[in-house]
This record gives sequence, C-alpha cells and structure tokens, in this order.
Amino acid sequence: MKDKLKECIKWLKSKGVDYADCRYVHRETENIRTANGNVEMLSRDLDVGVGIRVLAGGAWGFAATAVLTSADLKKTANKALQIAKASAMTQREKVILADETPHVDYYKSPCKKDPFEIPAHEKLNLLIGLTNDLKKVKKIHRAEASMDFFKTNKIFISTEGAEIEQDIIESGGGFEALAFGGKEAHRRSYPNSFRGDYACRGYEFIEAMDLASHTERIANEAVQLLSAKPCPDTHSDIIICGSQMALQVHESCGHPIELDRVLGTEISLAGGSFLTIEKLNKLKYGSDIVNITADATIKGAFGSFGYDDEGVKAQRTPIIKNGKFVGYLTSRETAPIIKKKSNGTMRASGWNRIPLIRMININLEPGKWELDDLIADTKKGIFFGPNKSWSIDDKRLNFQFGGECAWEIKNGKLGQMYKNPVYTGITPEFWNSCDAICNKNHWHVWGVPNCGKGEPMQTMHVAHGTSPARFRNIKVGVSK
Amino acid sequence: MIGKQKLIASFKKALVYSKADDTEIVFIGSESGLTRYANSAIHQNVHENNCKIFVRTAVGKKVGVASTNSLNAQALRKTIDNSLEIAKNQPDNPLYIGLAKPAKYKSLKTFDARTAKFSPRDRAKVVKKIISVADKKNFTLAGAFATSCGEIAIVNSNGIKAYQPTTSASINMIAMSDTSSGYAAGLSRRVNDIDFEMLANRAVDKCKMSLNPISIEPGTYEIILEPAAAAALLEWMNYIGMGSKSFQQKTSFLSGKIGKKVTSEMISIYDNSLDEKSVGFPFDFEGVPKKKVNIIQKGIARGVVYDRMAAAKDKKQSTGHALTPNESNEGALALNLVISSGKAKRDKMIENVKKGILITRFHYINGFIDTSNAVMTGMTRDGTFLIEKGKIKAGIKNLRFTDAMLKAFATTVAISRESELVESWWDAVGCIKAPTIHLKKFKFTGKTEF
Repeated sequence: MKDKLKECIKWLKSKGVDYADCRYVHRETENIRTANGNVEMLSRDLDVGVGIRVLAGGAWGFAATAVLTSADLKKTANKALQIAKASAMTQREKVILADETPHVDYYKSPCKKDPFEIPAHEKLNLLIGLTNDLKKVKKIHRAEASMDFFKTNKIFISTEGAEIEQDIIESGGGFEALAFGGKEAHRRSYPNSFRGDYACRGYEFIEAMDLASHTERIANEAVQLLSAKPCPDTHSDIIICGSQMALQVHESCGHPIELDRVLGTEISLAGGSFLTIEKLNKLKYGSDIVNITADATIKGAFGSFGYDDEGVKAQRTPIIKNGKFVGYLTSRETAPIIKKKSNGTMRASGWNRIPLIRMININLEPGKWELDDLIADTKKGIFFGPNKSWSIDDKRLNFQFGGECAWEIKNGKLGQMYKNPVYTGITPEFWNSCDAICNKNHWHVWGVPNCGKGEPMQTMHVAHGTSPARFRNIKVGVSK
Repeated sequence: MIGKQKLIASFKKALVYSKADDTEIVFIGSESGLTRYANSAIHQNVHENNCKIFVRTAVGKKVGVASTNSLNAQALRKTIDNSLEIAKNQPDNPLYIGLAKPAKYKSLKTFDARTAKFSPRDRAKVVKKIISVADKKNFTLAGAFATSCGEIAIVNSNGIKAYQPTTSASINMIAMSDTSSGYAAGLSRRVNDIDFEMLANRAVDKCKMSLNPISIEPGTYEIILEPAAAAALLEWMNYIGMGSKSFQQKTSFLSGKIGKKVTSEMISIYDNSLDEKSVGFPFDFEGVPKKKVNIIQKGIARGVVYDRMAAAKDKKQSTGHALTPNESNEGALALNLVISSGKAKRDKMIENVKKGILITRFHYINGFIDTSNAVMTGMTRDGTFLIEKGKIKAGIKNLRFTDAMLKAFATTVAISRESELVESWWDAVGCIKAPTIHLKKFKFTGKTEF
C-alpha cells in the first residue's frame, strides 16, 4: 500500500500542488452488547480506504475512496485536486501551513493481550455473567453489559517527505443496571455512563477494571434511586466525581480551545468559542489551582497516539496554567495565526474524513486533596455522581449537566441519595469557583468514545485525566 | 452507482455461498460531496465514495453480524465466513425469530439525476452566490452544502430482493454580524427544489433583525417554535421515547400511556416514509415494508415503531422501522416523523402573542435528564426574538430551556399550515417534517452572554 500511496503523491507533485497527503486506514472493530443474560449483538466490521488531501492554489480539496487500485487512487487524487480548484472560487486568503519536520517513523500503542485474539466465548461469559449478577437484585428490570475493540493500521505519506505508520489497539467496556419501580425507571452504570471506560490498551484493560466486583453496589444504587428525593433547587457547594469532571473538562474547556472553532470554521454545526484570540495569555479562566493540559503522550490513554493525521508528533501543551488561559489545540493551518507551530491535534475519524482539530487527552492536573478529607471539609453540599445529561451553548459558556445520582453532604458526611440531579453555570465563573481538586491517588484518565464534531459528522476517541473537585455556590436542581 | 441488477446478482451469489441457516445482506452505498464554508469562504470541500455491507447470519438461534466496506467477491465471502463464525461461537438468542419474508413495496421516486451529478464546482457556484447575498449586508456567511446519491439493497435467504436508489441535497447557512446571527436551511431529494437565494435572504434578515440583542430574564414564556426548533425537540423525543427499545424497557414517556391523553389535542405526530416529497424509502433494513405509524393522534398516545424482534415480544407486527443489522440491538426508530400541520398562518400566530419568544432553532438539546417525563434542556441559537403585543420587538440573547415536553405540548395554542423538511440525524435515509408551533408555556431556566 505504501508504494501505491507514494505513486499518488508523486503524481500530485507533478501537478504542482502546494501540498498533499495520502492517508491509508485499515480498521477492524468489534462491538458486543449483552442484556438480561442474552447476547443482543456481536458484530465485527472491517473498514479500509484512502483519504487524499490536496492544497492547490492556497485552497483545500479532499477525496476518499474504498477502492484501492492504483488507477482508482489516481482518480481520487485528481478529484481532490479538482475540488481544491473549486474551493478557490470563494477564496479570500490563501492557506499557509506552519513548518513541520517530515517524520519517517513507526508507532505502536501499548498492548499486552490483543482483544481480537481473545475467544468470543470468554468475552461473552464475562458480559453475560455481569448482567446475570445485576439481575439478581430485585427491581432491576434491564441489565446491560458491553465491550468495544478497535484495531487500526494507518499509513501517512506527504509531499514533504513524511512517511509514518501507526498501529493502535483500543479497548473499552462497562455495564449498567436499569431499575423500574412501576412508574419511574432509573439507571446506574459502571465504571462510567454510556458504555464504560476506554483506553489505547489491549484486553488487559478490560481485566483490570474488575467489573464483576461492582455489580451488586451499582444495582442496589439503581434501586435506591426509585425512592430517592429529587435534587433540591438551590445554590450549593458541590463536589463532582472524577468521570463527570471528565465531561466538564470536555465541554467547557476541551471544545472551546479548538482553534478552528475559535476561528469560526465550526460555526455551522457545533458553534464557536468564547475563548477568542485576544483572551490568550490574559483571561483568568479559573482559580489559581486550576491547571489544564493537552497531552497526547500519556501511555495507553484513549487520546494518545504517535503522530496526528498531519504527521505532527504527539506532544504535551499547557492550556490553563494557575488559572490563566495560555494555549489552544492547533493545526498546521491555524497555528501560524497565533504565531506557533502545530501542537499535533489534527485527527480524522477514518480514511473517509478530513482531519480536524480534535481533543487529545485534555487533563485537569491533580490537586492536593484526599477525597475523604474533601467531603469532611464540606459542611453542606452535594456530591455529583456520573453523567446522565449534558448541554452547553454554542460558544461554550452556559452549561448544564445532569448526573445519574447525587448524594447530600451534611456536616462533612455523605447522606441521602438524590435523583435527577442537575447543576448549571457559566464556564469562567464556574472554574473560578473551584477551590479544591483531589490528588493523584484519585486521578484517572477517562476514555470518551463519542466526541462529535464536523460535517460530515466525525466521532472521535478522546480522553480526560481528572480527579474529583469542589466548586462553591453552584446553581443545582433545575430539572423540572 | 452500481445498479440494481449488478448488486442483486452479486448478493444472490453470496447467499448461495453462505452455509448459515439464515443469511441477510444489507448494502448501503453512496457517493457524497460536502462543501463547508465559514467567514464567507469555502474552507472544506470533500468527496467520498463508500459503501457498507452488513451480513447477518444465523445458525438456529445463534446470530452473528459482520460488515465490510469492500464490494469485491472475496471480501464479501470473507465477511460471510466471519459472520458465521461469530454466530457459531455464541449462545442462542431466544428473541431471534428468523428473517423477514418477501413483500411488496410501494413504488417511490427517490432518485434525481441532476442531484446525483451535482459537482463540487456546482456546489461552489451556489456557495459563491449565497455569500454575495450576505456580502451586500456586510454580514459573513457560514454553513454546509451537501449533495449525494446512493443505493440501498437488501437480500436474504428467504427471497427478499429490495433495492432503492436515492439522492439528497441539504444546505444550512448562518449569517453573522458582530452581535447577532441568523439561520436558514433547506433539504430535498432534488437539489433544484431548494431556493438557495431565498434561504440566504432569510438567514440575512434574521441576522439583521437580531442585531444588538437585549438580555431578558429566564422564566416561563409563550413561545413560537419555528420548524427547525420544533423538529429538534421531536428528534430527541423520538430518540428517548418513540422507538421499541425505550418503550419496552419502560424509560419512554409513552410507556404505560398508550390510549391516554399526553398532549394538547392539536398535536398529532406520525411516522411516514412513503411521502415522495420527504426523504424516506419504502422498506426498512430487514426488508419489511414501511408503514405509516401514528405515535400521538390528536393528543392521545397511540404507539411506537417496531422492528420484527421487538414486535414479536409485544405480540405485534413490525411497522417496518428496523435499523441496520449492527444496530438491531437498539430496537426500531422512526426515521420520518411528521408533526401534523394546522390551520394558522405564521404571521397571525406571532400577532396572537402578547409577550413571548420566537425561536429559530435550538443548540445541543439533551433529553436524558428524566426520560419518563420527557424532560429536556437546550439552548436557543441563531435568531431568538422577543415578541411584544403581537410584534417582534428585538433580538434577545440566547436562553437555556429545561422543561417536560409533554407538559409543554399540552399548552399548544396554534400550529401553522405550512411545514418544512428539516434534516435529522439520519442523513439521506430520514428527516423530520415540522410546522411552526405556538405554545402557551415553556420554561427557560438560564441565559447566556450573547
């Protein structure tokens, strides 16, 4: 395949393009869904193709094909070139790319046990066992358990001489229990809502989650929700659990720091960003203890890789430093606007999509607190469990998150459970109210498999390292 | 486009190759292009030629699914082998009831040659033209314009041979100033049916009308939902409550309420993919003919949509709403929802509002807060206006709503005669048809800074 891609690049060079890259992606996917002791779905997918990106006359064209003969690749390259010429019809400024060393390299993600080599019955036995255990608890109406695996081989060749191959294996899974009490249904999940936790690791990641030892507690909590009181409508100090903090970082920091979005190119779907360029190195985004970092180099994390889909090496970039906004996620096209080189965040969800600036591992760096001490230090408040709902405005200011459950904090101790808890805020006000972050003992990189962006839609795998954190005087409970 | 004869012949050969008791092949192929523009210039222009072939096999009640995006015979045979191996290596699925049997499908014209041939240059010309509309008012324009052609084919070992060619064209546009924005969108199977200039003028007018928006306090207001806003609410209601899975697992707001009044009697919601003016096709991904299904009829809950497996569980017939084999565990979903139009005129509806809010569209709705009561939250976007004494007084800064939808639709005052097709999550295989709706009470719980 490398030779075919090189041929294509040679042909594009002969046409005098400003720049071009060819990206081959071969991806195997396995999805397993079980419920109430049965297999509801076991599917495997193979998706193979080549995407060709051409910059000609300062404008972009992109074409992709699943037919991989040399003739079809050349036809696709020509299509991309013609599209670039069509794009130039409305051009106002020519695209200029930041300099980048053309790397020649190979990267492989860490994997001890290839999940595609684990027999199906072993995975099914684990998942069916989980649903059977959950169903043992009275009033559990539906128990689901799932796993997803991805094995990707990518080859990237550019007109500048880059030649990069990457092999990445990803694994994830989790379970959930749905309790029904006659009128209402409530859900609890583990280790996170919406299909659990994910990482760039092999089947050893599934084994390390020790899912079976958590079924009884989670099922009982789902049943408890049936008789729980609604979360009160009030202003309160809140402590947010680690997995919900991951989504808080994702929506209120991860998306607004995407520089393409800041520059308006995502307006038509996802919107813009309040973090406009004049705020860089000036805005007090959060309190002094808030430090957020973009880091694609964390071994085994779901947002890690060797090189992005422009051939830029994975790196670590400060985003919020002691509360101050200091960095964006950038690409080769956008970085020159802030007088920087790309920090390597351009990724495409597959061969058939153009790379966009995407989150990598966007992490809230750990603080100093033990979780027990933080709860003990909170006289009156609410502890928010994993996510149930999420919404944020199109500049990423006004947000509202719902949890699967929450607990009252009274005199430094967890008390009664609340159902349908919701908290809401304005991003900088909220992060400036953060007065405590738990330490590295409570810090975990949560894999998020469903980050959406772009037209056509691209679903990306990203992650967030977070630990529980406390925020003062937050509006909670507006669900009805 | 590969064509009916070639596709069906190739899949019939594959069926002969399969050693499974039951074999089903679902093919979805497309050639699609999308031109994205922002700051009044094209910044992304893409073309894709792709397909997906799903193979579902069963050995007794053991079921496996495998898929590929390669159409060559060797890859297809490998996918069948893979599917069969998956099936053999798992326990029985007691819910499996075999594959669908051959049926007659309504003849629908879903393909338009002009749309299929629409080139990147054609799209660029349209974009250039609509940008010039915004330029005249010193606004910038952003949006996306997509055209595609495709084919859906389904064959199975019971003798089903379903085929449908499709095209679609869709555009969205946002006119922007420093303080405001305005939205318009169009969708059709036929690109020539979209009046691009009219839409550009609509987006520009909205942007102009909402210049220098004022801030109002959250609270309960009368609202006028324009079609894109009404469709966005319905899309989430569908996802959390109008399909078989949520209904059967009792998380749907319709669970236990069939036959009961759930909204104002002015509200009727049904699914109909058999309307040639819409974006539907005549069978589902099991090859079952699609039926028109009443979900809410004059305010009374009537039912949900089913695939074959879910229908058998409730002792009903499939309504023809199965998803692709790899998503069959999600149950059935309605892909062509319609909110029945009423008799009112849009302008009259606004005149009848003493103090209220006109909503062009919503952003980032989420309906998972309390699905049993259809509680949702979301933000207004790209054209939100204060109405006072029957007139649009000013643009307002965007608001967050959090409300129970059945409760809100119980307060329906009027529904417009005209409806629009609104693009849904289902791209070329579905859409929503929605009118403008006047609700007496709708709860806003927050506001933002723009």
